[in-house]
Amino acid sequence: MNVEEFRSGVRAWLDEHDLSPGHDGSFAGEVAQLARVRRALFDAGWMRYGWPEEIGGLGGPAVLRAVLGEEVTTRELADPGIYSMVEVLAPTMLAYAPKRLAAEMVPRLLDGSEQWCQGFSEPGSGSDLASLTTRALPRGDDWVVSGQKVWTSLAQFASRCVLLARTAPGHDGITAFFLDMDTPGITVRPLRTMHGREEFCEVFLDDVVVPGDRILGRPGDGWRLAMDLLPHERSTCFWHRIAHLYTRLDRLTAETSSADDGALGAAFLALHTIRCRSHATQRRLADGAKLGPETSVDKVLLATAEQRLFDTARDLLPGVLELDESPWRSEFLYSRAATIYGGTAEIQRNIIARRLLGLGRE
Amino acid sequence: MTVDTTELELLAETLRKTMTSLSGTGLDEVLTGLGWAELLTEARDVAISTVFSLLGETGAHAPLINDVVLTAAGGEAGGTVTLPYAGGAWVRWERTNQPGAALDPELPLHHADEGERVPLAEGRRALGWWLVGTARAMLELARAHALDRVQFGKPIASFQAVRHRLAETLVAIEGAEATLVAAGDELGSLLAKAAAGQAALTAARHCQQVLGGIGFTAEHELHRHVRRALVLDGLLGSARELTREAGTVLRENGRAPRLVEL
Repeated sequence: MNVEEFRSGVRAWLDEHDLSPGHDGSFAGEVAQLARVRRALFDAGWMRYGWPEEIGGLGGPAVLRAVLGEEVTTRELADPGIYSMVEVLAPTMLAYAPKRLAAEMVPRLLDGSEQWCQGFSEPGSGSDLASLTTRALPRGDDWVVSGQKVWTSLAQFASRCVLLARTAPGHDGITAFFLDMDTPGITVRPLRTMHGREEFCEVFLDDVVVPGDRILGRPGDGWRLAMDLLPHERSTCFWHRIAHLYTRLDRLTAETSSADDGALGAAFLALHTIRCRSHATQRRLADGAKLGPETSVDKVLLATAEQRLFDTARDLLPGVLELDESPWRSEFLYSRAATIYGGTAEIQRNIIARRLLGLGRE
Repeated sequence: MTVDTTELELLAETLRKTMTSLSGTGLDEVLTGLGWAELLTEARDVAISTVFSLLGETGAHAPLINDVVLTAAGGEAGGTVTLPYAGGAWVRWERTNQPGAALDPELPLHHADEGERVPLAEGRRALGWWLVGTARAMLELARAHALDRVQFGKPIASFQAVRHRLAETLVAIEGAEATLVAAGDELGSLLAKAAAGQAALTAARHCQQVLGGIGFTAEHELHRHVRRALVLDGLLGSARELTREAGTVLRENGRAPRLVEL
């Protein structure tokens, strides 16, 4: 199936099948809606395109997933942030999980029957992820994990977790595990964000026993696994987010009575720029290129465009987010995190300086 | 005439060498001899992007914008045409070496009476490529200086404040280039020229700062690129004006056009 056929097929199907959210706007409602959308799209086949058959897919190029996500996001059927998590988790399983485990588990993620989370960051390891101290010690065939994770999105709803833990010193001493979240010793405490959602959590691990066959890759592959996520996050996930931001620009255009076309144009230009850049990145990926540090450019452009858009919304809808309860308020607040999550703007600029401009060490 | 990738690389190499030693009417004549007019007919997009970005990178200039605008309007290459400039002004880019009063004293750019309306999309893309090339030239100068200049016992390239300015410059350039590659229609070309103008102005600001005192002298070549960027930004509409125009299109349209699709 080519992109055009797929897109028109998805559109026609979504026109026929109303998946509009009917929830109360709470995060739990968003998560339930996501599961509902996934289930329906999986059963109709759309969610399965772009994934290989061994994990329940129907094959076809990965770009089909970007097209589907753009439709879902543009119609505002699901929150783009949590919708896109599959794009990071499933490819990781495909690349690193034992074949049987991937075949058994990934379909549950795709069809909405389970949510998963990603246990990477720790209180002492944010930008410096490789310094993580959650440790896994061997005991017979098993591993025993103790430590603490933070900013773990969806942990309170998750059935599984892709977890990084230390099994030896250094970058090569990080190992990835596939953890069942109902294992004894796991405590999840949701964190409330400044935009009023309990989107991510602290996760405490006290002598959590993980079977030896739940290692992703081999012991010591964890850092490489984490680095391999980036191309996925920065292709399909970005395309979904850009599609979402266009809906907000449309909404701003419709709602503002300001004639400040310079400000509106600047928000449009920033968004158009990252759309063009992301388009080029997807093309390169489709042509078989291996994505690398140049995607830090995409990340900076996206975060900058997102914040500019919501800053512009605040300017062109004076008083709206300050005085009235509306989605603008929480979305404006959420946009403050765009230069922090997924690698801060500073880390991206460090990468650009070092790897793309060849400026040497700091 | 068909142009394949190898031929194009060879041509680009020849052009780069030529542009390093020749500018203005001299370069114009050589390009005419190399078949610029035919290239513009046979391999238009790639000819425009290659030649104009090389003008920027090398710091050379030639009155080629006339040819792009004239042929886009159905005319012949080789003449001149009155072009709109920022602020409602009109200019002519003469095919002589006679300088005008422009900020960039190398350019034979002169005030003119109001001209006829001509299609501007391709001209804007050409100038966009030129601006991106100019921005790359400035970035390279600042990059080399940052690696070379030692203060406090180490190259200033090791200081994060310096690194981040240069990183920000590259982000602006790469973003602008993506809009140029994607630009097809009127609005896409307008946005690309705006992005390129903005990238060149960003580069001018950051690179000037990184180059410190030396970049403020007439002896260092940075100021030539800065002048060129400032002048080219206004030609066929400045980044500021075009951005506002994009906002007007958006407001009248009621929805943001998605100009590129997967």
